[in-house]
Amino acid sequence: MGYVAVKAGEELIERAEELFEKQRLEGETDPVSVDQLDEQLGRLSAQAMSEGGLYAPRLAALAVKQAQGDTVEASFLLRAYRSTLERWDETTVVDPAEMVTTRRVSPAYKDIPGGQILGPTKDYTQRLLDFDLDGEDDPEDPTQEWDIGGEEPPDTLDNVMDVLRDQGLVHEPDGPTDDDPADITRDPVTYPAGRDAVLQALARGETGAVTALGYSALRGYGQVHPTLAEVRVGRLPVKIEHPYTGVEATVTSVEVSESEAVVPVYAKRDDPQFAFGYGLTFGRNERKVIAMTILDASIQLDTEDEPAENPEFVLNTVDGLDSFGFIEHLKLPHYVTFQSILDRIRAIRENESVGAGTADESSRDADEQLAEASDD
Amino acid sequence: MTDTETPRAETSYESVDAVLDSLDDEGLDGYSYAYLDEHTKREVRRSILKAVAIPGHQVPYASRPMPLARGWGTGGIQASLSILGPTDTFKVIDQGSDESVNAANIRRLARDTAAVETTTDTTDSDVIQTRHRIPEEALSEDQILVLQVPVTDALRKVDPSDAANRRRHAHKNYGKMWVHLYENVVEWGEINIASRYPTMVAGRYLMDPSPIPRWDVPKLDDADNLFVFAAGREARLYAVPPNTDVEPLAFEDREFQVERFGDATCQFCGSDDTYLVEIEGDDGETRYVCNDTSFCEKRQDDPELAKDHHRERDVSWGPGTPSEGADATGGDGT
Repeated sequence: MGYVAVKAGEELIERAEELFEKQRLEGETDPVSVDQLDEQLGRLSAQAMSEGGLYAPRLAALAVKQAQGDTVEASFLLRAYRSTLERWDETTVVDPAEMVTTRRVSPAYKDIPGGQILGPTKDYTQRLLDFDLDGEDDPEDPTQEWDIGGEEPPDTLDNVMDVLRDQGLVHEPDGPTDDDPADITRDPVTYPAGRDAVLQALARGETGAVTALGYSALRGYGQVHPTLAEVRVGRLPVKIEHPYTGVEATVTSVEVSESEAVVPVYAKRDDPQFAFGYGLTFGRNERKVIAMTILDASIQLDTEDEPAENPEFVLNTVDGLDSFGFIEHLKLPHYVTFQSILDRIRAIRENESVGAGTADESSRDADEQLAEASDD
Repeated sequence: MTDTETPRAETSYESVDAVLDSLDDEGLDGYSYAYLDEHTKREVRRSILKAVAIPGHQVPYASRPMPLARGWGTGGIQASLSILGPTDTFKVIDQGSDESVNAANIRRLARDTAAVETTTDTTDSDVIQTRHRIPEEALSEDQILVLQVPVTDALRKVDPSDAANRRRHAHKNYGKMWVHLYENVVEWGEINIASRYPTMVAGRYLMDPSPIPRWDVPKLDDADNLFVFAAGREARLYAVPPNTDVEPLAFEDREFQVERFGDATCQFCGSDDTYLVEIEGDDGETRYVCNDTSFCEKRQDDPELAKDHHRERDVSWGPGTPSEGADATGGDGT
């Protein structure tokens, strides 16, 4: 029998889980360790953290391992775990200029204060399969011969947007509406949603969905074609107020990707200024954070003319757990509703075949027609 | 329901490694009673109370991520876990069946975290979580039916915008839905809505009764029990309190119709007054069976068993109950 009408539902579930687990173990190699995933496939765990809304690299690596590499499933595991955790405190607001930056490029300017920092990137690497990676043993660090002397890096790197803002060229963002930022994990989103809720939803959005919707605006279904002021990757300090002394203390840092862009759409005719967009998310994920920037800029236009500019459309479709769950729920049995649908199409077919059939015919007549219709 | 609050297992971890170590434990040690923390359960209960106070109105609540996929009953299980206490008996049905794997999974979560008794017998249960069906046996005033909801707003059919639909509800402006139904009749001669039939609650709010078949819609009207509708993905709760008027939208000359099964009877118990589903056999024959498997088993022992057999008085409970007569077109407006 199928997946219903069996007496042993729970036993079947356990067996299905065991079969899934077996898939991971039936190969001949050693199990992959959480450390290996964390160190060597960090992009996977970073994506799980970004979409899971929980910064915990070891737990994320564990989730990736448990999900057999499915990042949405891994972010699901993180979110389900996160929702059971107590909240102890909130961090103080941190300025992204304080980021310990490993990479910062500014497409808007040839030269910028602090300089262009290319950092680790594959952007300019030719995408050729490296067959040497298959079967490598004892690889050498290609940077070990580097001579890294010279000047100390600066403590802070000012955002390129500040240059434009100082010149009055960029529209100022609206200030926060109240002291506490929105938290969509604690307060359900209602529309119109504040920009804080929009940014949070985008930061937690599924990478593919955010990228696709951002691309839609760029592809022509929208007005936003931004110039990136900068894209940055680095570690942002996490600060809290000391519970006794009230002094601000840095407790840890989180790796984030950040992007900010100007958009040549002018809000006011008498004082033309650039619109702008912002993106920030956990882990290294430049693709997502740039797409988030496009969506933030598009949503601020608030036209509803195009999908990417309609906040309801974007926020209701970018969440990986929502789309994953509802798409996959179609696998659940639907025979009750399907029976109801069959009843409707048969009724309509009866009407069509007998002409002016009406809904208030006696049930007996309808039954006879049903018998006829089912012979079709 | 007993509002018993088991003290949360206090756990604090020195390091991430300690967290990982703790995860090696079997079972759900370290989690709160009934999985959700007490604040969350209180918030859900408050939202349910608000929903009861405004029948049919969608109450936003902070739906938590659950260890089940969204769209698989996460709203229902949050509502159930928030109202269940350890002395309660819990039943879970999915498409009329207690034995569906998803029902088994939800039941397992409630049993493991809330330590409730579980049952497949509708009449034995205090709380029933259900997907897409209302049981055939009449529910009583001390029972709560928690329905899983995929789409919270009946108006979604005619406008995808939540903001626009909230305005329509505020103004009781359901013109667009009436036009939709009218266009249905013009185009097809019938109202072409199978399940999720738009339904007015207490003459005020238009409600999506979840994808229950039209067969079950009349059971919502003037029932003795509380219905709680809970959506996890869409983060909304709504309710139909006991003895509330619930009326499916229809026209005077196009009455509300429930599903018709012709002369078909259940292959197992012979019932002709229950919601049947077709099964296609390997021999190419189409057979009909009761959808409510628990009641079908009772009927197999006693074919004359009434749907309100356990109640002290006759109860009107959808099509085919004694007080409705054998009116196969059902409806509650006749």
